[in-house]
Parts: sequence; structure tokens; C-alpha cells
Amino acid sequence: MINWIIFAFLAPILGGLIYGIERVVKARMQGRMGPPVMQPFYDFAKLMDKRPLMIHSLHALMGIMYFVAEWFSLFVLFLGHDVLIAVFFHVLAVLALVIGASSVRSPYSVLGALRELMHMISYEPFMVLMVVGFYLVSGSFSINDILQSEPLIYKLPLVFMAFLFIIPMMLQKSPFDVAEAHQEIIGGPEIEYSGPFYEAVYTGKWIEYIYVFFFMFLFGGRNYILGVILVIFAFFFVNLLDNATARLDFRKMVKFSWIFLIPLAALNIILLALWR
Amino acid sequence: MGIFSKFRKKSPWILHYNTGGCNGCDIEILAALAPKYDIERFGALNKGNPKQADILLVTGPVTKNCKDVLRRLYLEMPEPKVVVAMGACAHGGGIFRNFYHVENGVDNVIPVDVWIPGCAPRVEALIDGIVEAIEIWQQKSKEKEYMRNHEENYERLGVKDDN
Ligand code: SF4
Repeated sequence: MINWIIFAFLAPILGGLIYGIERVVKARMQGRMGPPVMQPFYDFAKLMDKRPLMIHSLHALMGIMYFVAEWFSLFVLFLGHDVLIAVFFHVLAVLALVIGASSVRSPYSVLGALRELMHMISYEPFMVLMVVGFYLVSGSFSINDILQSEPLIYKLPLVFMAFLFIIPMMLQKSPFDVAEAHQEIIGGPEIEYSGPFYEAVYTGKWIEYIYVFFFMFLFGGRNYILGVILVIFAFFFVNLLDNATARLDFRKMVKFSWIFLIPLAALNIILLALWR
Repeated sequence: MGIFSKFRKKSPWILHYNTGGCNGCDIEILAALAPKYDIERFGALNKGNPKQADILLVTGPVTKNCKDVLRRLYLEMPEPKVVVAMGACAHGGGIFRNFYHVENGVDNVIPVDVWIPGCAPRVEALIDGIVEAIEIWQQKSKEKEYMRNHEENYERLGVKDDN
């Protein structure tokens, strides 16, 4: 128990490392050297050192709220509580970002906030369905019970497959990075954040990495080695997808999610419920 | 110098703005980001956002239409910041010198810290310029820059005339 608490406290550091490794992996896939693994921490230090430019206090507060709520959801996960509560805290975190982004006058920021909502309606129903699937297999919503049950991937292969495509939506990676869209709306919801406040949003992103890959780890169930293998596989798969594809329209993203991914997960859960 | 500013030199984020030159310099910048030269090795990222950028990389002569935009981009960047002027056009107009629509060089509009000569400068020259910019950036202290006579600076940049 106590080491899980320490783990949860260290989550931003771990997330930063994962982010750094991801940047190196991405660069190697493109045939480049890439930045050093510690690069996110250098960015962190640099951003803390900039002059704080605040638009207005609510905007800055919502940036920090995003970070805090993400961290809370991670605490819920690591302390072995209800998975659903973690999912709802994540919703709260993203909502904080949306409120912050839509409270400023910049049209890019407002557009980014609206697109972020599109992200939410495409992945949150799936997250709830996935948690229902976890419940059907392990008989409980609590993480401790899920980690005691048999590997969930044997019973939920279709949900697993769909989750592989949900990860790019949650982490804003290439085929589905409509909210971030660095070439057109220059970061979307985070465009008006600068200096230490941008740092909060940036670190929130790292925590999101841990959050997402922890769900991947849960698919391994009792078999922790299988869980780690799944996480590594998902990591490389998502990066490959990110490098190999271009951005889609947001309508295509929502359609892909609602017509393909969510029915796929629902089918898996219905079949599971029938033959249980 | 605090703990954090020691790491400043390791992550320069670049904002690139073309004030109306040909595309020669911009292609060199993109070549610097591409696999052969790969300035992301040094932590440099091409951020399209003035609020999160540290180095303002300006190419081209400043046309009269771009003048206000350039000034606004400069003012929107939080301190500490460095301005790099790249290419003959940015120095004094280059082949566009004394045309009716240009302001002849970047330093007529905003203060410039580093100059990169050439038309178009080679990527090596660009990397040298960035390295020099990072050294200047390292010496700047954020308090000094924005607390002291900032009213006067704003006056000099002509912000009051625009509004
Ligand atoms: S310096 Fe030369 S290459 Fe660069 S923008 Fe001017 S004309 Fe083009």
C-alpha cells in the first residue's frame, strides 16, 4: 500500500520519463537522433523560469485544476479504489481545461475547447463501457479486485483492440489530434497558457500518459508480466500510428468512435454477459 | 541565477515568422528541423505560439503590413526572450532595400540580438546563430528585462500609436 502511495506521488516524474522516451522513439522512427530522454524536465525548468503572463485568474486556475484533477484520478487508481471514480475525475480534469480555454477571447482557444469536447464525446462513453467490461470479468469495480482476477484480455479482446485506437484520442496523437492541431490552431486549448501555467498543463499531459497506460496494464489482470508486455506493445503501436498517419477531420473521429469502436466494445460486452 | 535558469539553455523553443521575404530562409529552417541536421537534438522545438516561445526567428524584410504583427508577436513573448534576424533581407532589406513597401530590416521595428548573414544562410550558419542566441538568452535575467524602464520600451516600440 505505502509503495503505491509513493508511486502515485512520483507519477509526474515517471510520466515525464515516459514522455521523454516517447520523443526519442518517435525521432528514431523518423531516422533522427532525437532529444535527450531528460528533455521534458529541462522544458519544465525552463518554463518555471519564464515570466508569468496571466490572461485572467480563472484561466490560470483552470490550467492548474487540470493538473490537480489528473493527479487525483491517478491517486484514485493507485490507491486501489473505484475505477469509475478515476474515469470521472479524468472527465473533470478535461472539463477544467475546456472551461479555461473557452473563458478567453482568442478564437483559437475557443475552437480548441470545442474540439476538446468532441474528443470527450468520442472517448468517454467508451471508457465507461470498458469499465463495465472490467466489472463483468472481475466482479468488482475496485482496482485491487481487478488486479486479482484472471487476465482480462482473454475475455475482452475486442475491447482491447478498440482501446488501442482510443489511446491516440486521449493523448491527442496523430490521426485524432484535432484539438491540439499544432499547424492550424497552434495547440488549441493550451494556446493562451504561458510560463508556469503552461507548465501545469504540460505536466498534466505527462500524468495523462500514466493514466492511460495504467488502464492498459489492467488488461493483464493477475498476470503482471502480460500487463507490462501489453503496455509496451501499446506504446510502440500508438507511436507508429502517430508517425504514419495525418490528421483526420473531427467528424471522422466521432464517427469512427461511435460507429466502429463503441459498437465493437458493446458487442464484446454483450457476448460476455450472455455466456457468463 | 536560480536553480531553474541553469537548465534554460537546454530547451530553446523557436517561434519562426516570415515578414515577407522569399521562401529561401524558411526552407533552410525546415531543413534544420528535418532528419539531416535535426536541431531537436538540442531540445529546440518549432512552436507556432509566441506565448510559449523563447527565440523569435525573423526572416525577410519587414513589409509595412507585417510591422504591427511582428511587434505584437515580440510583445506577446514572455521574458526572457531573444530575437534572431536571419538572412540579408532581415538585415537591411536585402534585394528589397528601399522599396516603397518595406521598413528595411528587423531592427527598425524590434530590438535584435543575433544576426545571421547570408542569402539564404546555410543551415550551419543558422545553428551557429541559434547557439549564440542561447548564450545571450542565458545571460538575460527576466526581472531586469521587464521591470526596468518598460514604459519607455513600449513607447519606443510605438505600441501607443497603434491602439
Ligand atoms: S535573405 Fe534571401 S533567401 Fe532569405 S528571405 Fe531574403 S531573399 Fe529570400
